[in-house]
Amino acid sequence: MIPEEQKDQAALYVLGLLEPHEAAAFESQLSANAELRDIARELREAAGSVAFTARQQAPPAALKQRVMREIATETRERKVVPLRQSAFGWVPWAIAAGLAVFCGLLALDRARLERQLSDIRAVDPLMQTTFYTLAPSAPAPADAKATVAWQPGRQSGVIRISNLPAPQPGKDYQLWAVDAEHKDPISAGIVRVDKNGVAQIRFTPVEKAEHVKAFAISLESEGGVPKKEGPILLVGST
Amino acid sequence: MDYAEQSECMMQETSQQIADREMIARVVQGDQSAFSALYDRLVDPLYSLGCKMLGDVVEAQDAMQDVFVQIWRRAGSYDPEQSSVFTWAILLARSRIIDRLRARGRRLRVVAASTDDKDVSITAVDASVVESAADISSRNESAMRVRTIMTNLPLEQREAIELAFFGDLTHHEIAERLGEPLGTVKARIRRGLLKLRERMQT
Repeated sequence: MIPEEQKDQAALYVLGLLEPHEAAAFESQLSANAELRDIARELREAAGSVAFTARQQAPPAALKQRVMREIATETRERKVVPLRQSAFGWVPWAIAAGLAVFCGLLALDRARLERQLSDIRAVDPLMQTTFYTLAPSAPAPADAKATVAWQPGRQSGVIRISNLPAPQPGKDYQLWAVDAEHKDPISAGIVRVDKNGVAQIRFTPVEKAEHVKAFAISLESEGGVPKKEGPILLVGST
Repeated sequence: MDYAEQSECMMQETSQQIADREMIARVVQGDQSAFSALYDRLVDPLYSLGCKMLGDVVEAQDAMQDVFVQIWRRAGSYDPEQSSVFTWAILLARSRIIDRLRARGRRLRVVAASTDDKDVSITAVDASVVESAADISSRNESAMRVRTIMTNLPLEQREAIELAFFGDLTHHEIAERLGEPLGTVKARIRRGLLKLRERMQT
């Protein structure tokens, strides 16, 4: 048995008078209630018949011609749909070709940018320089420090040292490049500080060092050694 | 007649309804001759509805062109479980006409009349019925029956149904215009429609 209130809602529903949320709620009731659907159908039929109360008027014959002409046009358009689909079959290939061209242009652009970057690096030393900051380790003074500006392309660099006292007689400070592709540090020469503990020296490793991870300064015998022996005083990476 | 008897009676399809369903099935297949026949069957009541709601024959013709194109396009969505073809077409047309009224910011003249003066509105409705009664040469026997039944409905039910069907109003607006509680208006619409349906079946 359908409650009166639900029948009232059904009447409003078939007339399209419910608010959207009310209509949605009623539709959920409809889907679960066959008796309610029957009532809705009867109310719908009744509502449709109300149209008969409008004063009967005959349309002009031209109206049917207009309608039939439009229908015929639509029918023709429907029939050409498959042709349109096949006519547009090239679209995915065109898109793929476009993407390929686009990727090619991107590759060219990347190569161009790499060339430009290479040129810029060649012109501007700063663009091809890597900086390393070396911090002290015992027995070096705590305020000792060094900075290395390294240009791999040129295999040369500049080290600036400060607050590092001169070594005792018979000893020298030796700079080392720690390279990823070499088992032992590569000697970059002897560095001598002035009386203020300062040095600024251009250096070149004795072997090619293309993948330098760090630079270090050790205390070695005077004149240096081919392979690090003494203690590390300063070391640092990028 | 209890509800079960009513339902059984109402479910009996007329030969016209069966013919309508056959026509719509052929329309779905793209049969223009079937559509032409369906047009002939539906155009008078639909066009009359358009004229009444829009109050302008030229606009009604434009609306009908749109409505019949919609029928052509949407024939596949017709659900015989929900309504007859005729009712489906009528409610589709009403919906499209209301869209036009809303788009053009206009209201049904009948609604305006009922707002200004309830007695005038009632007179207008009665006049419509009288006109239709005078229109004995009406092509549609069903139309005459509906008008007769509507005329014999309690006035408050007929008035509520007319406003609900022909006016672009929400149920709250109908209640406001009639100066009645919402629940009362809902019950009037529902009782009037069920009575109309019941009497159409007898």
